[in-house]
Amino acid sequence: MSTALTLAILVGFGLLTGGVAGLLGVGGGVLIVPFLVLVVGVPQHAANATSLLVILPTAIVATTMLRRRGIGDLRSALQLGTIGAIGSAGGALVALALPAPTLRKLFALLLALVGLRMIRDTLRRPRSAT
Amino acid sequence: MLASPVPGRVGATAVGLTTGSRRSALSSRHVLGIGIVGGALSGLLGVGGGTVMVPLLVLWAAVPQRDAHAISLGAIIPISIVGVLTYGIAGEIRPGDAIALAIGSMVGARLGAGLLVRASDRTLKLGFGIFLVAVAVTMVSAR
Repeated sequence: MSTALTLAILVGFGLLTGGVAGLLGVGGGVLIVPFLVLVVGVPQHAANATSLLVILPTAIVATTMLRRRGIGDLRSALQLGTIGAIGSAGGALVALALPAPTLRKLFALLLALVGLRMIRDTLRRPRSAT
Repeated sequence: MLASPVPGRVGATAVGLTTGSRRSALSSRHVLGIGIVGGALSGLLGVGGGTVMVPLLVLWAAVPQRDAHAISLGAIIPISIVGVLTYGIAGEIRPGDAIALAIGSMVGARLGAGLLVRASDRTLKLGFGIFLVAVAVTMVSAR
């Protein structure tokens, strides 16, 4: 793959993940990490690290925009993020220390269950939902 | 109910699209629980942590869907800073790939957040559910 093409693919994929991130309130890492590993061929740990570096400016841009529109609650967000930062350091150290394919599968199962529940909630509840 | 003063800027805005009546100040129990779980998964898997924080905010802390998305995004900022530092010290970051992806994703984030402002909570919840299932399928099939 030529450098220019790789660059274009990366920017294009970034656009997609950024859109999903801004809309769904996630960082986009669940898309970026598999993409880097499977498509770009980056090793797992480097993919995790790179993904986090992409997520940071993405979240800043989205948060700035939402704050301007008065949506959300930045104080709660930063409280949550501060506690989360402690967990994050711990998680990253664990990840650097061990390979985690089993954990990945468990995590996937958890996501599927939660996702199905959310879909079911919206289908079951008529339009009047809060 | 805690008598904590909530910053006025959150509530009454001209936009009028947020659910408004229910503000989403979190109890310390929710902050601790959701923060630790979201942060640990973030560091472990190199993700923002929003995939777990959003469902926990909605299903456990009873935050309206749109506010949960916005709160999650804000929380991701300090979480990813620490993740970047931890992995950065270990020398794992690929700056070239990160910059290219970030250029796209910053533009995308503006577009996505613009949609978030307008979408209904129901649509957002459905969208998020589909997203989670899709992610789960990719994760299982990837390895």
